[in-house]
Amino acid sequence: MHLFFFREAMRSLLHHRGLAMTAVLSLTAALTLSAVLLLLTHNARLAIDSIGDRREMIVYLKDDVSASDRDLLIGRIRDLYGNVTYVNKEQAWQEFARQVGDESLLEAVGDNPLPSSLRIKLRAELLEPAAMDTAAAQIGRFAEVEDVRYGQEWVRRLDQAGSALTQLTILVLGLVGISVVFILYNTIRLTVLARRQQVEIMSRLGATDQFIATPFVIEALLEALVAAGVSIGLVFALAWGAANQWLSGIQFLPVLTAVSFIGAVLVLAWLATMLALSRVLRAIGP
Amino acid sequence: MITFDRVSKRYGERLALDEVSWQMDEGECVVVVGPSGAGKTSFLRLITHETQPSAGTVTVGTFKGGRLRRRHRALLRRTLGIVYQDFRLLNDRSVFENVALAVRIAGRFDDEEVIPRVMYALDEVGLPLKHGRFPHELSYGERQRVAIARAVVNRPAVILADEPAAALEKRSADEIVTLLRKIHGEGAALLMFTTRMDAAEAIGGRILHLDDGKLVDADGKPLGPVQTGRTAEPIPMTVPDVNAGRR
Repeated sequence: MHLFFFREAMRSLLHHRGLAMTAVLSLTAALTLSAVLLLLTHNARLAIDSIGDRREMIVYLKDDVSASDRDLLIGRIRDLYGNVTYVNKEQAWQEFARQVGDESLLEAVGDNPLPSSLRIKLRAELLEPAAMDTAAAQIGRFAEVEDVRYGQEWVRRLDQAGSALTQLTILVLGLVGISVVFILYNTIRLTVLARRQQVEIMSRLGATDQFIATPFVIEALLEALVAAGVSIGLVFALAWGAANQWLSGIQFLPVLTAVSFIGAVLVLAWLATMLALSRVLRAIGP
Repeated sequence: MITFDRVSKRYGERLALDEVSWQMDEGECVVVVGPSGAGKTSFLRLITHETQPSAGTVTVGTFKGGRLRRRHRALLRRTLGIVYQDFRLLNDRSVFENVALAVRIAGRFDDEEVIPRVMYALDEVGLPLKHGRFPHELSYGERQRVAIARAVVNRPAVILADEPAAALEKRSADEIVTLLRKIHGEGAALLMFTTRMDAAEAIGGRILHLDDGKLVDADGKPLGPVQTGRTAEPIPMTVPDVNAGRR
């Protein structure tokens, strides 16, 4: 019996191949757009996370801080905020000299003016701009601390960019979801209307709505599966091409995301088909 | 088996059936004769629940009156075998597939039972060698025989035939009537609607006259609440054996 329904679906696909092809192409276009956006979001998120890993806070110490007070401070900061690396005045000067490279310029500076500092690699939960602001204010209140720097502006902008991209992706996915439902709803409605005579005859022979609907559901799921598969394939090709040509760091979507994408499309296709059939079968069934 | 209890059907201002009361028993053969527009189609549509009576109750088997749920309506229709004047075959399917569709819809048989059942039904109507043909490759008479095979393939308790020979020339029409009579002889109740008295008499069952939405006697006078009509003896017919070509 299952084979019968599958054969009926294939017969309908072949019989209305123009309609099916239009539906598949429309779906593929909409799904490819959303899959490309998913790819961009995924890679932007990877980039943001990678930059986020390198976010650190630099705490400049006063010159008169004793070694014991400094060690005490390091211990407290480590407990509260994250890993701490102590950079003394000499290390700071060597690093500066390495960056500048010009001996004459260094000689012009004279004595080492750089303060000793603590470089804090913040805990993951403190990497948000608001949490970093709070942490910086709290650390600044320690008596041993001269100043705290962490580039709050670009951290904020990076996070804003990340959340804007996520919101855009959600918006586009929502719109594409609606368009998938719309395209399949109308395709199945047109297909059923094109086979109106068949539906009427089957209804008169005593076919249940489920019996009549099953081939149409299979047909819609096949169309959605092909469109989702092609769009994921296109995005894979795009990612692969980009990685080989000009964006070496770009990564394809994780397998779970790709499978979830196809699964979501199938669920939407099923919903659209059931919606279309529940209306159209009642309208034309004798 | 089928009971109409003071059934009326109105389409807007037009009264298609007017307080019709009538009953048909299991295995019985009833022919409803009436001119075009007499209400025969409304009669049939009420039995198949394609429409609801404006007044009165229609009972078919265990399905009594009222608006049935869609799945119950489907179940009711599966207990009937219906033959239409215009055949209602699917033109993009072979003869075999048209008949097999009814078997699959019935859902009572496994896949391996479909082929023998369909071939048996096609054998009964004399078309076993044309199972691969498409409806447009058949004559009108052959198409109606396919429709009859589709109607009987699930062995329904009642066969409803709506002017089954109206679209056919005399020879084919006689063949169809003979075939229906044979199927009724095998045990199925038969309810046929026709405009032709000769076809009604050829079938040889209880004849009811339907005129202007009312059941009337042979003289055109309205019948009482229990409609027995009159029973005609089957008229011997000299029609060619539908199986002759296969032997």
